[in-house]
Amino acid sequence: MTAVVETEGLTKFYGGRRGLEDLDLEIRPGEVFGYLGPNGAGKTTTIRLLLDVIRPTRGRMTVLGADPRDAAVRGRIGYLPGELALEGRESAERYLAFLGAVRGGVPEGRIRGLAERLEADLSAPMGKLSKGNRQKIGLIQAFMHEPEFLILDEPTSGLDPLVQQEFLSMIREVRASGRTVLMSSHVLAEVEHVSDRVGIVRSGRLVAVEEVAALREKAVRRVEFHFDAPVPREAFEDLPGVRDLRVEGAGVRCTIDGRPDALVKAAARFTVVHMVSAEPDLEEIFLTYYSGEEARHARAGVEGPA
Amino acid sequence: MPALVSKGLRDNRRALIGWTVGIGAFFALYLSFYPNIANNPDLYGDVALTKFPGAMRDLMGGLEGGFTSGSGYLQALVYQLFGPLLFIMCATVLGNRAIARPEEAGTLELTLTLPITRRRLLLERFAALALSLLGVAAVTLVIVLALSAAVGLGVPAGRILAGHTGVLLLALFFGTLCLTVGAATRRPGVALAVVGVVAVAGYVVETMGKDVDALSWLRWLSPFHYYLDGRPLQLGLPVWEYLVLAAATAVLVLIAIPAFDRRDVGV
Repeated sequence: MTAVVETEGLTKFYGGRRGLEDLDLEIRPGEVFGYLGPNGAGKTTTIRLLLDVIRPTRGRMTVLGADPRDAAVRGRIGYLPGELALEGRESAERYLAFLGAVRGGVPEGRIRGLAERLEADLSAPMGKLSKGNRQKIGLIQAFMHEPEFLILDEPTSGLDPLVQQEFLSMIREVRASGRTVLMSSHVLAEVEHVSDRVGIVRSGRLVAVEEVAALREKAVRRVEFHFDAPVPREAFEDLPGVRDLRVEGAGVRCTIDGRPDALVKAAARFTVVHMVSAEPDLEEIFLTYYSGEEARHARAGVEGPA
Repeated sequence: MPALVSKGLRDNRRALIGWTVGIGAFFALYLSFYPNIANNPDLYGDVALTKFPGAMRDLMGGLEGGFTSGSGYLQALVYQLFGPLLFIMCATVLGNRAIARPEEAGTLELTLTLPITRRRLLLERFAALALSLLGVAAVTLVIVLALSAAVGLGVPAGRILAGHTGVLLLALFFGTLCLTVGAATRRPGVALAVVGVVAVAGYVVETMGKDVDALSWLRWLSPFHYYLDGRPLQLGLPVWEYLVLAAATAVLVLIAIPAFDRRDVGV
């Protein structure tokens, strides 16, 4: 199956300022790809290039197997801009009807259904919408024609936690139906629960692409066991991956790298009363990529843009 | 009607109502003075107006026939300067709404990611501009025709139609100039400035240049030349001149398409 997005050496300079350099990216059909990086790293530049809003300085790309210059491709894409501007006295309902008409018609029931799920007000004039409500309208117009490929730039910004949950379940439904999603964020926590893979971009360069599962496996995890009676320290020493071991009476605390298998088997020899395993802190791994990249740049004497 | 055209007209609706009412009221006000003025040939007649300095008479279109003849009055007060001026202002506001202003506001990005080509986007926005101006022109034409008859101006309806058509073509030219500069530069302020300079310089060159040999060749470059020089109110529809105006507008659109198609949007 051909890739949904394929870029080769994709580069964009704004005058002398680097927006994106030598991006080689492949997004596979049916996956949710999290595109991560701090503000100004090149996420929006990438997305605008894929949508033909801006043109590459050099490099090659295909989207859904076609050149983005071909307007018909955009009919198969749903797009949420990072900074969605809506204005005027027109109601969101009429605006959505207009966008639907240009897209060749969207059933009205689907728009209403999405509005109910996200609790969006479609009757208010668009110029008066709050940031959160604007974002909801943006999500509706991105999802309403059930596109094969969703490109969402910072989709969760401005949404309250309940609506964020609803949004994430919409993303899961899209994946379950075999469609593809590219979503950007500057916070890993926002995308890690729905993404299959994440790409990390920094200062206009893609520094890493990782399976989220692999990232989790690499993660440092804090684990705590409580037993019904004091346990000997020797039983937990020298287990693979176990570090920072502390045994205090009936309690054992440690951190583990990778699989917790050996630790769990060691603990199983005693009577476990209570166990705590904190979520792996992916943010930390994420940050090591960042600092690694920074160090590399410093060594190469390359001046990073602000 | 294509969705982008009807959307453009809907977005322009309030502005169009405002401009139509404003321009209509302005014309109605001036035309309603006519009976008073026509009764005072000593003050406003052909002979009385020869006292005006020549350059000033030129700027006001020569004031041929004085204010007391119907066609002279209509020319001097409606079709010479104020009518075109108001229409050009209206066209400039609407011209900027096509590309440059939505781009500055950030609303153009989403439109651009719809499955339509930039060429079609631009052409449909141009169509909305043309239809909007046509609407303002049609309503104000009816007002002028009705009031001309009411105050006994004595100018044939065909001549008024000819003059009004010229104003519409001139406004469409300047609106398109604004659209094109905005489409190429993404800056509504620059588009406004270009229209202002071309309009003022064009008007001055056309009216004052008649008697200044050094300037007279420049008249060929002035958009106003192809409206005023044909004297539509006195001589009827100047077909060739109007075709030049329409062709110049078409050329501007043909320039706008590749200029807009090639560049980055919104950065």
